[in-house]
Parts: sequence; structure tokens; C-alpha cells
Amino acid sequence: MSLSALLSEYGDLYLRALLNTWRLTALCFAGAFAIGVAITVLRVCPVKPLRVFGDFFVQVFRNIPGAALLILLVYALPRLRVLLSYEMCVIVASVLIPSAFCSEHLMSGMNTISPGEIEAARALGLTFTQLIGRIVIPQALRSTVLPMTSLVVGTMLTTALGSQVPLRPNQLELTGAVNYINSRAVGGILAFAISAALYVATALVIGWVGGRIDRKVRILR
Amino acid sequence: MSAPTIRDRLYEAPGPRTRRRVALFTVLALIGLGFLLFIIIRQFARQGQLEARYWDFFLKWSTWRYLGQGLLSTLKAALTAAVIAIALGFILMRGKLRQNPVPRWIATAVIEFTRGVPTLLLIYFFFLVLPRMGLNLGAFWRITLPCAISASGIIAEAFRAGVNAVPKGQAEAALSLGLSNTRTFYQVVFPQALRFVIPSLISELVIVLKDTTFAYVVSYADLMQHAKVLITSHDALVSVYLVVAVIYILINYALNRMSDRIAQGNRRPTVQRQGGAA
Repeated sequence: MSLSALLSEYGDLYLRALLNTWRLTALCFAGAFAIGVAITVLRVCPVKPLRVFGDFFVQVFRNIPGAALLILLVYALPRLRVLLSYEMCVIVASVLIPSAFCSEHLMSGMNTISPGEIEAARALGLTFTQLIGRIVIPQALRSTVLPMTSLVVGTMLTTALGSQVPLRPNQLELTGAVNYINSRAVGGILAFAISAALYVATALVIGWVGGRIDRKVRILR
Repeated sequence: MSAPTIRDRLYEAPGPRTRRRVALFTVLALIGLGFLLFIIIRQFARQGQLEARYWDFFLKWSTWRYLGQGLLSTLKAALTAAVIAIALGFILMRGKLRQNPVPRWIATAVIEFTRGVPTLLLIYFFFLVLPRMGLNLGAFWRITLPCAISASGIIAEAFRAGVNAVPKGQAEAALSLGLSNTRTFYQVVFPQALRFVIPSLISELVIVLKDTTFAYVVSYADLMQHAKVLITSHDALVSVYLVVAVIYILINYALNRMSDRIAQGNRRPTVQRQGGAA
């Protein structure tokens, strides 16, 4: 199949798949980020059971393979009477796994804060909540822009899990779209190359934006 | 473990009032987490997932031997993929550090490609396209090669970071002693860089190991496939998948711990300059 034939027949599909990949990536990263921050707060709070829970959460989702988590969500949860749509399963998996990595990045970002700042904040009488919310998290965020940028790309790669569940054609993301095309026509290398190019281009844009943000907000020490 | 982390710095020895509050919150947290656990277990019990028939075959030696065989195949694929990925990553790193722009440009393009494309897309490429082009690889290579290619770019960057972490003076000293560029790299810079790189290579093994769980796409009999067989023979889905997930988590956790340990040992610089900053 030539490029023009492929694009005229499946151009819409690719465009929708690209937009779906973007939508899933943005949505899942936002979720992962929120959970990552919350879990990180638990991991440093003075209440020991919460710290242990936070560590446990991170170790589980940092180490579980995406396919294993997706299979649990798709096949095991319904037997426990928890029914999620296929797309929801992909979203949940692509939120939980990056959230663990997000927390790990934040923890190492926190370690770059100098002890003097925390002592100063405590000397000023800031409570734990204020200390975390105003001193620790903002600085940890500013020093972890580059790892977070890779995490956005990582989240995008995780959303390829969408190809492993039966989604409707209008829900397909870039990897699923290639499978779809390959199952109906011989797309060959080209069908893959288009998806790959769209992935790589997205990753490059994300990397570029991340680099710009990093230069703006990084704290020079 | 030994280095003080942010957790140790965030609070000092609490006074009596804070201690009471922390104790109160600890109790509340324990109640909350216990309740969560209770709900999960109750849901298992209500749906009959705690029945003995779902779990008793894990007491049999044959079950574990069968899972062990699957795990062995998984490890074989992961290790092979890791070795290939390290070789590819090394070549890419050499290319990227060249003065000559052509290999540098090619290496950069390949690295960006492997880092931007999901492993699944590569697996489908090896599974769907290559056979049509007359290249018939076995199931083992159809899972191993895509995982290796996918990891090679990140490994190349890890190698590069390691090489850059070796003080410049090392290379300068070697060159001024009359060593060629090649010998400088292989005898002076790279051996030192390797020390920094080993932790990230181990973490990389974790990523490769996770990627091999897609082996079911190419019907390679890995741990997941063996789990599926167990599920059909015992009609026990939830318990088997849970156990398999825990096996994966424990292996990866152990690998990550190992990587952290080695990284901690590396904090101490290899070569210290007498007096003054390195």
C-alpha cells in the first residue's frame, strides 16, 4: 500500500488515534501527578502507617509490569464485582504506574532541598502542612522538571496498553490503530512508520517543552 | 539507608502535644487502612474468591515447578534482551560521542526513535511485518529483539551520562601521556564510567523484564503464559494472576534494591584529587 493510499483510506483513523493518544497521555499524566504528589506527602508525613502505606503503594506500582496490571484490571476485577470499561482499565493502569514513578522523582527532588531551609521554616513556626505545601513540594517540583518530562513520555508509552483491549475504532490510540489497519489491509512497514513517527514527534515536542520549562524554573544552587 | 534523607530532616524530636497528635493520627490511619483492607477481603470473600479450591493448588509442588519453568523462560528472554540492548546501547553511545556529525546524527536519531516508540509497537512490527517480508524468527526472538531495541536508547543515554561523569582530567591526562583516542576511551574513561552505569543497567533489566510480559502477543511461553495454563486447568483466575503479579513485583523490587545498593556504594568517587575540588 502506498503512502497516499494509506493516508486517504486511514488518514482519519490516524488523526483520531493521535488525538486519542494525546488525550490519554494528558489525562493519565494529570491523574498520575495528582496521585504522585498525594502519595509523596503520605510518604514523608509523621504518621508511620501512612508512610508505610505510601511506600507500599509505590513499590507495587513501580514494579508491576503494565501487562500484568492491565490483565488484573480487565479479568480479575470483574470477578470481584468491580466492573470497569476497557478504556477505563487502560486509563487506570496508565495512571497508577506513572504515579509511582512520579512519587519517586519527587522524593529525590526533595532530597536536593537544603536542610537549612526546612530548619528555617520550622523556626518560623510553620506547621507540617505549611512546610510541605509551601517549602518542600514547590522546590521538589522545580528541580524535577526533566524527570517529569520523561515521565510524560513514559505515560504516553504506557497508553499503548490500549492496543491490548478491544476498543471501538473511534477510541483507538496509535498502537491499536496500526493493529486495526493491519487486520483489515496489508499496511506493511508504512502503517507502523506513520504511528512511530507520530509517537516520536510527540515525544520530541514534550522533551522540548520540558527543557524550556526546566530552564525557566530550575533553582540554581 | 545510611545517608540522611529528607524524611529525617522534616521533623525533630516532637514535644508532648505533637506526640499526642501524631499518636491520634496514627490510630486514625491504622483504622482507615484496616478498614480498606477489610473491604477488599470482604469483597474477595463475598465473591467466593477465598474458597480453598482457588488457593489450595499453590500448596502443591507441581504448581510452583510449572510457574518456575515459566519464570525461567521469562528470565531467559529478559537477560538475552538485556545483553543485546547493552551491546546496541554501547554502539549508540560511541556513535553519539563521535566528533564526526554523521554517526552522531544517526545515533541521535536512533536513540530518539527507541525512546519515543512504545515496545508494543515494535513487538507488533516484529510479529506482523517481518514474517511478511520473509524473515521468520522464532517466538523467542520476536519478543527478545523488540524489547532489546526498545531499551537500547535509554541504555545509550545511561552510558553517555556515565562517560560524562568521569572527570575530564582523566581523559586529558591519558591523551597527554600519548595514548590514542581509542585506548584513552577503553582503558581509562570507560572502566571508570562503567561503575556509574551499573546501577542504571540493573534498573534497565527491570524495564526489559516488564516488557517481556507482552510475550503472549507472540505466543512465547513465559511466566504469563504458564499462568494462563494454570488458570484453565484449575479454573482459578484471580488467585493465579495475583500470585504472578506478586512474583513480578518481588523480582523487580529485588533488582531495584540491588541497583540502589550499588549506587550508594558509588557515591564515593573513584579518583580523588589531592587538595582542592575535583
